[in-house]
Amino acid sequence: MFRLKVADAKLLRDMASAISILIDEATFQITPEGLKLRAMDPSRVAMVDFEWPKTVFEEFVCTEPTKMCINISELLKLLKRAGKDEIIELALDEKTGRLQVKITGKYARTFTMPTLEASEEEVPTPKITFNVRAKATTDGLRQAIEDAELVSDHVRIEADNEKLVFQATGDLMGATIELKKGSDALLDLEAKEPSKATFSLSYLTEIIKAASATSDIATLEFSTDMPIKLDFQQAREGKLVFYLAPRIETA
Amino acid sequence: MGVNLRDLVPKTPIKLEDLSGKSIAIDAYNALYQFLAIIRQPNGTPLKDNSGRITSHLSGLLYRTSNLVELGIKPIYVFDGTPPALKEAEIKRRMKAKEEALVKYEQALREGKIEEARMYAQATASLKDYMAEDSKRLLDLLGIPWIQAPSEGEAQAAHVVRRGDADFCASQDYDSLLFGAPRLVRNVTISGRRKLPGKNVYVEVVPEVVELDRVLKECGITHEQLIDIGILVGTDFNPEGIKGLGPKTALKLIKEYGSLENALPHIKDAEFPVDPRQIKEIFLHPKVTDSYKIEWKEPDVEGVVDFLCGERDFSEDRVRKAVEKIHRGYVKLKGKTTLEKWFG
Repeated sequence: MFRLKVADAKLLRDMASAISILIDEATFQITPEGLKLRAMDPSRVAMVDFEWPKTVFEEFVCTEPTKMCINISELLKLLKRAGKDEIIELALDEKTGRLQVKITGKYARTFTMPTLEASEEEVPTPKITFNVRAKATTDGLRQAIEDAELVSDHVRIEADNEKLVFQATGDLMGATIELKKGSDALLDLEAKEPSKATFSLSYLTEIIKAASATSDIATLEFSTDMPIKLDFQQAREGKLVFYLAPRIETA
Repeated sequence: MGVNLRDLVPKTPIKLEDLSGKSIAIDAYNALYQFLAIIRQPNGTPLKDNSGRITSHLSGLLYRTSNLVELGIKPIYVFDGTPPALKEAEIKRRMKAKEEALVKYEQALREGKIEEARMYAQATASLKDYMAEDSKRLLDLLGIPWIQAPSEGEAQAAHVVRRGDADFCASQDYDSLLFGAPRLVRNVTISGRRKLPGKNVYVEVVPEVVELDRVLKECGITHEQLIDIGILVGTDFNPEGIKGLGPKTALKLIKEYGSLENALPHIKDAEFPVDPRQIKEIFLHPKVTDSYKIEWKEPDVEGVVDFLCGERDFSEDRVRKAVEKIHRGYVKLKGKTTLEKWFG
């Protein structure tokens, strides 16, 4: 048996929205301790690693570990019907394989939706030695990415011990965005060696936009021509981490 | 025509975008036939240049390839070589069917039955050597790799995927499964809104993935047994199959008796134009080659314009737009990596 209750609909909605940017069919691992999901997008360029312990929820009941796969954008449509302070309850009917989504507050409505065949794929953690670790506000990151997006569809992220630089070069225009260590946007920066890597802005923008609804501070880790890890610190307990593979510019 | 395993094969519908970053070995003749059959005027006349040469295949190849590459999909076209001698019966059958269709086409045209004419015209589509040569020339200019198979294109495509040099085979036929392709994707070259033949009805055709392992697991059979089923149902080497015997019955028989050899004595009217063991041999050990090179290069925009617009009377504006899409896709592809590279 599995059911949960969240007092703030927004919390669940923002999380579903962050997951839905990479995947359509989300397979959640449900244990008595909480909810987990780790999945790559179909083109395997990006990964989301999400975990909510049961303490995030007002109520969380799971009698035995199970997997539940749902169409996350369909769920999101339902969650969007909920107002900010409304209560959401999810309950899995194991007999029918349907998920019940109950929203209460201004009035009560109960939706049901099908669950899908759960993915058996175990997604490993990328093995990377990170040389740069930067702690930034999600707002600062978002501004930098939106600047870069004006001129190109990819961005090079560079760092040394002084600053984090976003460099975008388009067909016609270019942009350089500098975040200095200790500034309002860049809270901390450590670089074992100067590093740079290029990423697709379509992924990066969507990840940062969606995740910043759930988080104010993010830790970026990267190395030259390696995937970047974006760890979005959660207001309550829990984890929301994204990995994004780089674009490697060959001559 | 290919082997009809539709009823046995579990298919997963996907979006074309899901193939982004994947390389697909496309059965070139299969795709060119589709272009020749489909890309026609309402009365069934194929596209032609000013000197009367057919250009439907070039049009399909250019626009379809540009749509795939724009999505970050990496196509590799695999061309048929010399067909195995055993295929003679099927080749004759196809020629006869085309001759019959041609007669009906001309009759329908004379009677002013445009819809019918178009339907028969599609069945007359035949692929001439010059069309394959045209297509290879266009692919070279577009920077898209192609492979010349020593014999069957689908066998070679399956071989390329099995060696890990491509992620999927792309074909409408299921034969690549018999040739041992681990992953097949259908409807890649024709997805989108499609008109049903002979009717004024449109359907949405979506790509679908078929995995050999899953087919075998769900049917509870081995690869060799799948070939046996194919032979009972009918392949290009015994197009008729066994009369009245469909895929489901074939599966039952093979599971009951273990193999084609053991099942045959129990099947009434089991006749083959050639020795079924030879057919099996073609699927198990097809003639393939390891000497090929897969490399996506920058498209030669002016070269494509000279060829298609200068020689074949294509609209320059549309050609440039399509090649520009390929160029954008190429630039994106060049640097793209996936996380799998770091899973160690």
